[in-house]
Amino acid sequence: MNTSVNNTWKSSRILIGILVLASLLLPLLFGKNQYNMILLTTIVLYSVLSTAWNIIGGMAGQLDLAAGAYLGLGAFTSGTLVIRYNITPWIGMILGGIVAVAFALLIGYPLFRFGVREVWYALSSSALVEVLRVAFLMWEDVGGPIERFIPYHDWSLYHLRFGTYTPFYYIMLFFLFFTLYINHRIRNRKLGYYLLSLGDNEDAAEVLGVDARTCKLKALVIYAFIVGATGAVYACLYGFIHPSFFSSPISLEVAILGIVGGMGITYGPLMASVILVSAREILRASLGGQMESFYLIIYAVVLIIIALFRPKGIGHMFQTAVSRLAEKRNRAVPATGGNRNGE
Amino acid sequence: MPFFPTGKEGTYIFTPLVFLFYAGNFLILNPEERNINVNTIIQGILNGSMMGCIYALIALGLSIIFGVMNIVNFAHGDFVMLSMYFTFWAGSLFSIDAVATPFITFPLLFLFGVVVYFLIIEGTLRQKYVTQIAVTVGLMTLLRALAQIMWKAQARALPYSIIQGSVNIGEITLMTSRIISALVSIAAIFVVALFFDKTWPGRAIRAASDDLDAASLMGVNYRWIYAFSFGLGSALTALAGGLLMSFQQVDPTMGLRFGLLSWCILALTGMGSIPGLLVSGIIVGSAESISMSLWDPRARSLIIYLIFVLVLWLRPRGIFGRK
Amino acid sequence: MGDKIILQTESVTKKFGNLLAVNKVSFDIFEGEVLGLIGPNGAGKTTLFNTITGLYQPDGGRVLFNGIDISGIQPYKVCKLGMSRTFQVTKAFGSMSVSEAVRVGAYNRHGEKNVAEKVDEILDFFQLSEIRDQKCSDLGLAPLKRVELARAAATDPVLLLLDEAGAGLTATEMAELMNMLKVLREKLNITLCIVEHVMQMVMGLCDRIVVLDHGVLIAQGLPVEISRNQSVIEAYLGKRAVK
Repeated sequence: MNTSVNNTWKSSRILIGILVLASLLLPLLFGKNQYNMILLTTIVLYSVLSTAWNIIGGMAGQLDLAAGAYLGLGAFTSGTLVIRYNITPWIGMILGGIVAVAFALLIGYPLFRFGVREVWYALSSSALVEVLRVAFLMWEDVGGPIERFIPYHDWSLYHLRFGTYTPFYYIMLFFLFFTLYINHRIRNRKLGYYLLSLGDNEDAAEVLGVDARTCKLKALVIYAFIVGATGAVYACLYGFIHPSFFSSPISLEVAILGIVGGMGITYGPLMASVILVSAREILRASLGGQMESFYLIIYAVVLIIIALFRPKGIGHMFQTAVSRLAEKRNRAVPATGGNRNGE
Repeated sequence: MPFFPTGKEGTYIFTPLVFLFYAGNFLILNPEERNINVNTIIQGILNGSMMGCIYALIALGLSIIFGVMNIVNFAHGDFVMLSMYFTFWAGSLFSIDAVATPFITFPLLFLFGVVVYFLIIEGTLRQKYVTQIAVTVGLMTLLRALAQIMWKAQARALPYSIIQGSVNIGEITLMTSRIISALVSIAAIFVVALFFDKTWPGRAIRAASDDLDAASLMGVNYRWIYAFSFGLGSALTALAGGLLMSFQQVDPTMGLRFGLLSWCILALTGMGSIPGLLVSGIIVGSAESISMSLWDPRARSLIIYLIFVLVLWLRPRGIFGRK
Repeated sequence: MGDKIILQTESVTKKFGNLLAVNKVSFDIFEGEVLGLIGPNGAGKTTLFNTITGLYQPDGGRVLFNGIDISGIQPYKVCKLGMSRTFQVTKAFGSMSVSEAVRVGAYNRHGEKNVAEKVDEILDFFQLSEIRDQKCSDLGLAPLKRVELARAAATDPVLLLLDEAGAGLTATEMAELMNMLKVLREKLNITLCIVEHVMQMVMGLCDRIVVLDHGVLIAQGLPVEISRNQSVIEAYLGKRAVK
């Protein structure tokens, strides 16, 4: 193995360590300002969602547009349980994930058969969000047009309610670490290889023993579960549940972040989230409520531009830049061995 | 008939299932809410069928694009919404009736489709399928967001059209606008079918969608075929939009509803059968109409989606690829 | 070469619309042999392969693999049972490296613990170790074909179907391929069925030959017999050539 790759690996581990530490310490800098904390939490939230999306979108190659559906299902499951039966969202998370998975399988199962074009899953998933929204609006008992508030607590780990946003930030952060880890695990083991091969050439993969349907379903289940569980925390974060959680804009955003970030690159969606979600919040702050939909226009334009010109996404652009840099550094090292990266 | 009928079996298995579904619905409703009345049902079916013809026209546009280029335009429903707004402007600006607007909006939307093709779609043709779908999703998002900013939530409608009025058959009232719209849609579908079957450009397009390489060898330029198909598919929404505007209003959120209707009809019909689209359209339209009158007006998209999911589970040959 | 039949097609038929691509074809493959499947272009050889391996569903007849009826079952299941194949037009995993592509095949019978070892073994055998980290989309035709072969072999098949593995290769590359196939058969005990147009390969490698023309099986037997068979010569060169 050439040294430039070695150096990159070493540097990346150091970098990861630094980033993890920084992210853990961030609240110390911003903790006093609640507006900043919710901004950070939102960025991390979208990072979780888009990194999870990477599993179904980037690796399994399905354009899933149902993130909002699974999020809402998780929120309603956990929220209803906490409101009516005082069951902790820690359990609600798991149940929310399961409910989300059930609905995911409803549309995924028939559609992941060998030979079915990806477009049908994309269509069903995008419609699922809207349909659930209408259904929950009509379902007066559990949903209905009025927000259902989750009881307020100043600091309850049991109810997952806090007076500040900081604990939510940490919870979301750990969700993020977990999701990134899952991504990494899948990538480097059988499922990842199988999914990648399906994306490249489904026919060839099938004759090599890859069960397309089972692999895609596995990816879907993992993704839906994570999003559903996140939905439970989402409900506690906002303090209420409402059918508007079944949001098409969120679903689109998550998919766009996943695509723009770079399908299949683990940290790609994370990068895209940091950049785009911050941009969105800045836009919202300066333009105000009138231009709510404006950020969607930006997202859409970015998506189209990336799809046309840099389809591999930001993550890939970053990777290429890093490896070019590593090459340059390698050339700067004298041929007699040893390297300057401080061994 | 042009193209090869493949999805009909699905359509015919479905219809009884859909009616079973309504029967099921009855059992759930409270007795007081049931206004079971033969006339209500017949009215629902007739109204729905007429709307279904218009939906079929919209789905035809989608089907052409899908059949030729293998791309499902996610933004198709929003093209309908867009054409309805164009109709509104053309109608207000030139003080013409909604039904006359397609003379303006049809070429306008055709041009729009061609431009969209060259600007956005063509660049993705060499890439992964997911990316190709993704750009149309981007387009949909863009159009919807633009519409919401420009027109807010205000619905727009044109003043009374020339085809207003109603016809009474016994206890059933049918709006003339819908009858005429349905007839025009059927005629348009028929014309398009003839185009693909009998005319040289139509057959060239069919050839290209079957085998691109062979067609190019015979001097057919695929870029223009794709552009034309995309333009035609989009332009058909202008025709539907004009008809719809004669008795409906338009708001920025309608794109989703028309999109869902088109995909459902497409899934139900499978690929290749143009008359099949009409049959599916009528089924879907009646389903929507009956569920709105007997259950809840808000439930219209639920029913359509339910049908959609049922189709996907029961696998009509149109969708599934294994030969 | 034993007497055990590992693949049997019984009257297999495949239609596309009105076109009978494969018409009631029946033949057997014996364990350990190299069977050649030849015929003029359009004879239906690839369609037959696709039907046997599950990419197409047969419209008539059945396919038996080691006694099990595999007609129309999904391709991945066919692989799990021990049959693998390569494609006439290479279907490479463009974004993956050579070793990654082979690894996909190796996962068929190996878990995480052994898979890396198996990959190294296969790469070695097919002389791909030097280019193991190169992306498949960057490779030329000959190495790509070897990767296809390696991938399929990594699944530990009992029967390997090769669709025109020799197409587009130079004489030297072809000789290398033939050697590799011979070793494959001897060392790894893999039965081979090859579709080929290149006569040297067919005559040099095959124990028996089956000939297809317009979807119909017109002859089968030893290479020597086939080269003298009237209908075969007619099929390739036309009726007048026989006279």
